Amino acid sequence: MDRRKFVKEVLLWTAGLGLGVPCLKVPLLAAAPPPTLGVAIGKDYPLLVIKAVEAIGGIEAFVKTGDTVVIKPNMGWDRTPEQGANTHPLVVRSLAELVLDAGASKVQVFDYTCNEKRRCYTNSGIIDELKKVGDKRIRWEHIDHRKFIPVDIARGKSLKRWEIYKDALSADCYINVPVAKHHGLSRLSLGLKNSMGVIGGNRGKLHHNLGQELADLATVVAPKLTVIDATRLLLRNGPQGGRVKDVKVVDTVIASSDPVAADAYATTLFEMQPKEIASTVAAYKMGLGEMAIDKMEIRTVQV
Amino acid sequence: MMTGKRQKKQVSGRHIVIRRIAQLFFLVVFLVLFIRTDYNGSDHLDAGVNLLFRLDPYLAACVVLGVKTFIALLLPSLVVIALALFLGRSFCGWFCPMGTLLDLCQKIIPAKNKKNGTYFPNLGLFLLIFTLISSVFGFAVAGYFDPFSILVRGMAQAFYPLTNSLTVEFFTFTYRELPGFVNAITEPVYDVLRAWVLPSAQKFFQLAYLSSFMLLGVLFLEAVQRRFFCRNLCPLGAMLSFISRNGMLASHGGNVDCRSCRICSKSCRMGAIDTERKIDMGSCNLCYECVQKCPRGIISFGFSAMTGSKREVSLSRRKLLVVAFAGFLLPSVKSVSVLAKNPSPLLIRPPGALAEKDFLQRCVRCAECIQVCLGNALQPAFFQAGIDGMFSPTLVARTGYCEFNCTLCGQVCPTGAISQLTMQEKHQSKIGHAWFDKNICLPFVKGISCMVCEEHCPTPEKAIRFKEVAMVNDKGKAITVKQPYLVDELCIGCGICETKCPLPGRSAIYVTNAGEHRHPDNSLSTYDGYS
Repeated sequence: MDRRKFVKEVLLWTAGLGLGVPCLKVPLLAAAPPPTLGVAIGKDYPLLVIKAVEAIGGIEAFVKTGDTVVIKPNMGWDRTPEQGANTHPLVVRSLAELVLDAGASKVQVFDYTCNEKRRCYTNSGIIDELKKVGDKRIRWEHIDHRKFIPVDIARGKSLKRWEIYKDALSADCYINVPVAKHHGLSRLSLGLKNSMGVIGGNRGKLHHNLGQELADLATVVAPKLTVIDATRLLLRNGPQGGRVKDVKVVDTVIASSDPVAADAYATTLFEMQPKEIASTVAAYKMGLGEMAIDKMEIRTVQV
Repeated sequence: MMTGKRQKKQVSGRHIVIRRIAQLFFLVVFLVLFIRTDYNGSDHLDAGVNLLFRLDPYLAACVVLGVKTFIALLLPSLVVIALALFLGRSFCGWFCPMGTLLDLCQKIIPAKNKKNGTYFPNLGLFLLIFTLISSVFGFAVAGYFDPFSILVRGMAQAFYPLTNSLTVEFFTFTYRELPGFVNAITEPVYDVLRAWVLPSAQKFFQLAYLSSFMLLGVLFLEAVQRRFFCRNLCPLGAMLSFISRNGMLASHGGNVDCRSCRICSKSCRMGAIDTERKIDMGSCNLCYECVQKCPRGIISFGFSAMTGSKREVSLSRRKLLVVAFAGFLLPSVKSVSVLAKNPSPLLIRPPGALAEKDFLQRCVRCAECIQVCLGNALQPAFFQAGIDGMFSPTLVARTGYCEFNCTLCGQVCPTGAISQLTMQEKHQSKIGHAWFDKNICLPFVKGISCMVCEEHCPTPEKAIRFKEVAMVNDKGKAITVKQPYLVDELCIGCGICETKCPLPGRSAIYVTNAGEHRHPDNSLSTYDGYS
């Protein structure tokens, strides 16, 4: 889809005309089969990604030859990998390689950072890892403010309209790759929270009704695939941490096409209940996914 | 160097070409260093991005006189002094980026007045003497007049961000409004500009107008007289002039046989050649214009005692006394300014800044720290720091915050006004303190859990924390809300909380310089105790 055509269509959608456009609509999970979760555990982080995705049908289920793909890690903080505030660079790299092998024509990696953008990209270690792949189809770029477009959030209960990064909406496959970590206000920062990295404007405002607004956002920013990096869990002083002693290594990667189920499962790794996370509950109530662990098909792989 | 022979005319023409190439080369070097005064992907900057200021003997003299200490960082300025001793004011004619810009301006706005005499031949010298003496007494304003400070300030605080803003606006227009085939050309151009020329983010500055007017003023004075600033105002020029006049290089100008020919003096951009066609080595910047144009080809420079003139410095003793007195009086008035009793609490200095008195003595207002500051946190002060503190860096946290892991300002400071901190020192260096304004902070007023400040607080053990409090909100409903509080011992005053506070306009949390480590009298009673 070229840029002009895309902008035009977004204008149409936001005027509420293009109801048939699939990209922004998440189907209601009425009598859907139980969501499957791939959970891989082990020390070889690149392999964890491969195995977790394999467990839910392989990358080919999500990426077709020629697709444009966005991989959205959390690299919002000027922190090193061992501090657990950003997605592990090996997880991002492995996923990028997987997507390239599936025939993606372009893989974009970006995040709208909280700290200074270049420091975040560099010190997260992610860009260095991606460079090692040496494939020109991978593009890491800093947020280009021209690409924020106002989008009406038709199903939003609290968040009705917000600026969203065009590329996150227009990609054939949008993959959310959050890191699982503590967060003061929302208790945990997982997949739904990670979507804040593709929106513009005064993002702090979402905090005022964070759980519901993240769920509202999830109605338009809908990843085909969520891969949660739980190789390390930042247990305290999140979401940016800074102390290695606040980090617990659990060597786990979770993959699912159901963003709510992925978040719900990751919550249990912190010995918490999915219902304690407001965004999970709100999204579940809106029919965006499953939050009951016993209603999920969990395929665990030891690596 | 050269002997005056007619057949040498070709050679002198070559001198001009070489001089112009040198000028352009050093201008480009200057611009590259300016753009490289930025984060480069590592925690350590390229060496020498601040070289221009460390070469400046005028700033070095003022700073050393002010702090009465030897400063190794400023040693390179001896090179420029040696250059002046041996090669006159070639620095002004061949190296100085401001001089080169002025020569370029002359092509665009040629001086109307071709009269050779300099308007205020002693003003630069007055400024030099005044600033040197006032520095001794603790009133360091050399940076107001120094050509490099004016140049870099104008660029860093106005023209560079302006270039970015206009460029972004243009490419936003092409991106949004023009068809794909145009974008196929414009977007790659934009990418190249982004990568190599433009700053990584748009910055905003208080004093943007003042900084740009000062630089534009210097440039526009070219329309009055060639090299107006260099001849009439520049204190660095006056210093180099004094050295050159007593230096090794001498000149051989015209003589009575030239009859009525005045080509040399008319073509001189520095007004260095008098009616007797004698060349004053304190003014001449070795542009070689006269050497090339002389119909008899008799003008030359050399090291031997030739017949060049030594123009008398016509500073009368009375004038000198007045200047010296001003240099003494102004600093002393400072001691009865209200700021001496009641310093501004909003004057937050960069991490590593020396105690205020030493800091101001060393700060040469070069804007290097302001240029390099990643978060657009450092702003030039106006009068918060006193009449002698204008353009010195201060953190304005609503505009930008001090990046936790960044130590670049201390690395670029050419005089050590901001000391170089290790990462660990930086993490523990308290530059101020955050305070809640509970009259507007949402959890207190509206019962809305917000916690954006807590989220962004960068200390590994958070200085901003929250407690869950039962309250009745503004709608009369009993609720539990997360209310933030501050752990005094952990806050370092970086200001990210104030920058990111989502309230419109005024922030509900703000930083003052209370508790800053560099100032023992300013310690917080809450944890340092009353001393």
